[in-house]
Amino acid sequence: MDKLLAELRSVSKSYAAVRVLKGVHFSVRAGEIHALLGGNGAGKSTLMKILAGLVAPSGGEVRLGGEPLVPATPAQAQAMGLYLVPQEAHIFPNQTVLQNIAVGMPKPAGAYRARVQALIAQLGVSLSPDAKAATLEIADRQIVEILRGLLREAKVLILDEPTSALTPHEVRTLFGHMRALRAQGHGLVFISHKLHELRAVADRITVLRDGHVVFAEAMETSPDAEILAAMSPGVTALDARERMREIEGAPVLALERLSGEGFVEISLSLRPGEILGLTGVVGAGRTELAETLVGLRTPSGGRVTLGGRDFRARGPADAMRAGLVHLSEDRQQYGLFLEAPLYWNVSALVHGTLPFFLRPGRERRRFEQYRAQLGIRCEEADQPVGRLSGGNQQKVLLAKCLAAAPKVLILDEPTRGVDVGARNDIYRIVEDLAEQGTAVLLISSDFDEVRRLADRIAVMAGGHLAGELPAGASTDEIAELAFEAGEAAHA
Amino acid sequence: MLDRIARDRVATLFIVTVLVLLAVGAAAPGFLSVRTAGIIWSNGLVLMLVALGIFPVILTRNIDVSGGSVLGLSAVTLGLTLNQGLPLPLASAAALGTGLLAGALSGLLVAVLRVPSIVATLGTLGLFRGVMLIATGGEWIEDLPEDLKALGAKSFAGLSVMGMVTAGAILAVWLFLRSRRGGWVFVTGDNRAAAHHLGLPVKRIEFLVFVWGGAMYALAGIAFAAQIGFVPNQAGSGIELRAIAALVLGGISLLGGVGTVAGVVIGVIFFTSIDTSLVFLRIPAYWNDLIGGAMLLAVLLIDGRLRIALEARDRAARYRRSGHRISSTRDLEDAA
Repeated sequence: MDKLLAELRSVSKSYAAVRVLKGVHFSVRAGEIHALLGGNGAGKSTLMKILAGLVAPSGGEVRLGGEPLVPATPAQAQAMGLYLVPQEAHIFPNQTVLQNIAVGMPKPAGAYRARVQALIAQLGVSLSPDAKAATLEIADRQIVEILRGLLREAKVLILDEPTSALTPHEVRTLFGHMRALRAQGHGLVFISHKLHELRAVADRITVLRDGHVVFAEAMETSPDAEILAAMSPGVTALDARERMREIEGAPVLALERLSGEGFVEISLSLRPGEILGLTGVVGAGRTELAETLVGLRTPSGGRVTLGGRDFRARGPADAMRAGLVHLSEDRQQYGLFLEAPLYWNVSALVHGTLPFFLRPGRERRRFEQYRAQLGIRCEEADQPVGRLSGGNQQKVLLAKCLAAAPKVLILDEPTRGVDVGARNDIYRIVEDLAEQGTAVLLISSDFDEVRRLADRIAVMAGGHLAGELPAGASTDEIAELAFEAGEAAHA
Repeated sequence: MLDRIARDRVATLFIVTVLVLLAVGAAAPGFLSVRTAGIIWSNGLVLMLVALGIFPVILTRNIDVSGGSVLGLSAVTLGLTLNQGLPLPLASAAALGTGLLAGALSGLLVAVLRVPSIVATLGTLGLFRGVMLIATGGEWIEDLPEDLKALGAKSFAGLSVMGMVTAGAILAVWLFLRSRRGGWVFVTGDNRAAAHHLGLPVKRIEFLVFVWGGAMYALAGIAFAAQIGFVPNQAGSGIELRAIAALVLGGISLLGGVGTVAGVVIGVIFFTSIDTSLVFLRIPAYWNDLIGGAMLLAVLLIDGRLRIALEARDRAARYRRSGHRISSTRDLEDAA
């Protein structure tokens, strides 16, 4: 059972002057699950895109089933039995599920109806072939991708962080499917940040760092500590908040039985200088709650008080005037003007208060001040923000919010797509802010992050407030609230 | 019923068109007749062909505004070759070839050189019009032979040759879009990155829809010359915008991936019906643009509002459903 299904031989890749991959060897055998691990920017995605023919390597060789991948196109890779299930499913929203699965196959979609139905039954999922793809939930979109791979009879399936949007129950089901595919002789590549997930199914593990393979062993004989040390030397796991803080005073923001799109009767309060962690799984209703608070959505019931007075934002500008600033989870779409210079982005929220004729000199100085304070790494204030790394973009976003001098700051997933170093910087910034009296509502799916930062932890599941925990609560306690209620809702 | 009409632009537009025709029929006796239907069809031929050309381009989430210029250039090619004594079939082939080449140039710019389609076709719009003016020295082409004009005259079952060609083109697009490769056109516009990821030849698809567009504009140019019997130097100017308006009216999404052939046909017929009606109502022709524009805005506005209302209702229902699901599990827990 150790026939090589896919092989990368000393593959390298450079974008402009940046070398992303430096002579990487990687292989997938029949009947194995091969885990691929690495921090942000380690080169995992690029490596898998090369394997799937989506990106051409600058050097080295790609072989599928013993044959070189020529030409290096996705169609050729698929024809040679490889399918990449991307982290975010590629969906054609206006087409049906069946059409989505059969696109690109040699016959019209209708010819595959029976086969797709058989595969759906085999996976044990409930999915209608005639549903419009736009109506599918995230987990189902992932299933559509897996079905695409199976319909193409792919021997090698690459799963790029398939569990990031799934509930534990769905993860267990997915692992069942993966084991079944392994037993049938498929080779799988499983990319994940979560070591315990990799341990549950993987046979081999390869760790990438800075475009090099730094670790490649059998999963069984590799202790966690070794793997972590290989992935990010010198960084230890995140700890819970070190010191408890006494927070006093009247709440600056209070929600009383607030209901709206995707959440029901949420009651929360937040005092000046406090960091309230709001966590839960994807789809728990946290983002909808935040968007309702700043007036992007309309509440259907309950009340909000800000600084002791009834408050209802007519829109983000209104919320900002009242001292409530929101940092969106999607920085590319809702947070930054990617082509605009850095200083302009930092002033974006306060443009309304600036004089008619802008004074770029003054704004550049404002930016320099934040650059020093937040440790933003860039060349100059006139650089477009889109050129910075994810971590630095996020810092610019934080600077933008700080410039508006918020009383209450809502941070929605502030460290999404941010590497470990920048993540620690952001934690320090948030702590300093709270120290200076800003109330922070920290929305995050990362339980460790919430434990690291929050003074109190509120957990949402399926649109309800599942419970509130004090600082120092364990990951298990949080998970229990976040998942069990969510699971029940799906049952 | 209201739901169905609001969701189906083609049905809405069909009903509106029928109502307009009935109203005109009430005001101008003798309007409602087979003869009028024939007139509307033949008045709409050129617009229909141009719309059929742009339709697949828009499905791939691109746009082509060079249609009018290609029409003019093809018509000029036809006129010049005919007046030099070339027989009609050869001259028509030359016109068609011109359209194919023009479409290939736009397609090359968009699909291979990755120029945004609005920019690329604004460029080719000027380019082709310029070539046409240079070729004719700005003169009109007149004295076209009778056999060309015969193509625009009724010959069989009330249809002209060009009328039959157009009907054939409608049928061809309808059949093609039902095929496997026709599906590729839709999905390329729906999610280009996903189509590429799934191994579809996205560039080739984009290139070919522009080439198809060029061929249709050339046929439109032949129909145009056959119907009016000469080629003015502004032939086809601005028709691409009318065609795009007709497509939008027929429910073809400018965001790509959504649209039907029925929508194209009804959109074009709607516009042509209004123009034809104004003639019957003895309203001067210079009112056409104003009334056409106002009708377009009215239909789009009403349709848009209905759609927003329906979406809000669907969204509320979805959240209510999930809310209900949650509270019912709460009930279970309470009972336990």
